[in-house]
Amino acid sequence: MAEGTVSAFLGGPQQILVELRSVEAWRSGIKILGDVCLTVGAGEIYGLVGPNGAGKTTTLAVVVGLLAPSAGSARVFGLDPVRQAEAVRAQVGVMPERGGFYDWMTASQYLRFFAGLYGSECPPMEISERLAQVGLSSHRDLPIETFSHGMRQRLGLARALIGNPELLVLDEPTSGLDPRGRREIHELLLTLSHKCRIGVLMSTHILDDAERLCDRIGIIASGVTVAEGAVPELANMGRDLEAPDQARGDRYRLRLGDREVERASQRLPTGVSLLHREVDWCTVAVAAEYSPEVVWRELMFLGWPIREIQRLDTSSVKSGLERLYLELTKDTEQQQAA
Amino acid sequence: MDEKMPGAISMVRRRCGRSVPYPPRGLTGALTIASKEGSELLMNQRGLLWLLVTCLVLSAFALLLVSDTELGLLDNAQVVYDMVGLVISLGALLTLVVGADAIGGEQDRGSLVPLLLAPLPRSALLLGKLGGQLVAWTAMLIIALPYLWAVGSTGQNLAAGIACLILLGTPIVLMFGCLGLALGAKFLSARSALTVGLVVLILAASPAMLGPGLRQTAIGVAVDWVNPFSAILNAVDAVVIDSEPALTQTTPFAVAFAWLLLALWYARRTVSRLTGSPQ
Repeated sequence: MAEGTVSAFLGGPQQILVELRSVEAWRSGIKILGDVCLTVGAGEIYGLVGPNGAGKTTTLAVVVGLLAPSAGSARVFGLDPVRQAEAVRAQVGVMPERGGFYDWMTASQYLRFFAGLYGSECPPMEISERLAQVGLSSHRDLPIETFSHGMRQRLGLARALIGNPELLVLDEPTSGLDPRGRREIHELLLTLSHKCRIGVLMSTHILDDAERLCDRIGIIASGVTVAEGAVPELANMGRDLEAPDQARGDRYRLRLGDREVERASQRLPTGVSLLHREVDWCTVAVAAEYSPEVVWRELMFLGWPIREIQRLDTSSVKSGLERLYLELTKDTEQQQAA
Repeated sequence: MDEKMPGAISMVRRRCGRSVPYPPRGLTGALTIASKEGSELLMNQRGLLWLLVTCLVLSAFALLLVSDTELGLLDNAQVVYDMVGLVISLGALLTLVVGADAIGGEQDRGSLVPLLLAPLPRSALLLGKLGGQLVAWTAMLIIALPYLWAVGSTGQNLAAGIACLILLGTPIVLMFGCLGLALGAKFLSARSALTVGLVVLILAASPAMLGPGLRQTAIGVAVDWVNPFSAILNAVDAVVIDSEPALTQTTPFAVAFAWLLLALWYARRTVSRLTGSPQ
């Protein structure tokens, strides 16, 4: 892992299904992954978390053998996912983020087609069971073109489960689902993982999903693994990153002029802590003993060109994991903003 | 929509107690894909539209040829030759379109990656897609038979024409199908693949329009030797119009087959490098 990587590991699973060590990968002449490390064990749900463009999907492409790493090593079930692709894919179910379907087929026809590709022993029975698993039994004979986005996500998950995989690789599996749909997918993944010892490697940018579902998380930024470990340990580390006492209190987002955050943030009055900076927004914490109105007057006196003030809901105060995530990925966000 | 998942636990128990199925051999997977491709052509709106267009074009051309025959402007051999040439050209166009859509179109629609992630060798994927094109060509042959009969039944060249269509037309048609597949895999876009493929098709077909004078020149002879369309049409001309035995047309058949192998090699090369995203 890269220097300064935060790592916390509470023991290891008994069987390692996926192991990436210092993986580097390129696409179209651009280096997407610089140093990615992760391990996924049997019966474990591993969350790959990172901002947009961090390299999550590329990492999954390396795992499933669609992209060969230019450096480092990638092993899935102890096999090379590129050179022994068929053997690996026979045991892996994949749900890409953008999963297109054959709209002219019905759900059962679609699954039957993939059951044929995966050599399913009894396609009709397996198809019925998969559709029941994802809650699409009543839609088995409807054309896919009539499906909503959430139903297509479920169908994609059903397709990933065809062939009884030992490992599921899911790219944003709850993207576009309503809260009930997300909850049902969560329950299904937890059942598959903990009862059937199926390993799950999922990428997500929803920290809530990662905290709720995952046994271990890897945070990736700019193609580098910056943190990896069990969720409780990473959350504790995030809490340790909490700003000093002054940072406790109400949080506000302030909109300044374009490119003025950098200059303004060098002048902070007492009782105000700068938590996060973006292009023309910044997040500050105002100590509880100070009146916000007084603070705004003082900031403007110091030359802050405040144009808008948003008070952040206290329930959205960041959890330890979210704080760690924001801290470790802030350089990436700033680069993207620039 | 949001029904509970009662099967989850029972599925869990059965899954845990059931052995993981062995993935199919390449040929089985190829047949599965070919079956899907064929169904898509024959049951999908887009596929049926192509077959309708084929019928319309053949209808118009057949009417024209029959009229010319009635007026004594063309003899039976010539109309059979013209109709066979048209069907081969349409077949090449159809398989080029089907081929470009088979990979490039799937990429555009987002359905390519799940296919690439199936436990199948790339060669099985290619074979399956080619099988789909064979289905398309077979459908076109079946549609063309009544039209051939309509224009050629009054003479004695119909059987030779049909034989030429099947034996000589199939390599050319599959060649352009392979080209469509290869371009689709290279560009990962149906539109780009089709654009380039159409240019190649037009360039390949244009020498067939050379007049008799130009064809006697050294360049014309060389083009006749290497151009697949020219080779095949010359062979059809020899069999249907000049009544030469089909078995004597080994050279044109070899030219067409060589081009087919070249296109197949290129398709195999590009499909084997597919990753589902530009490299």
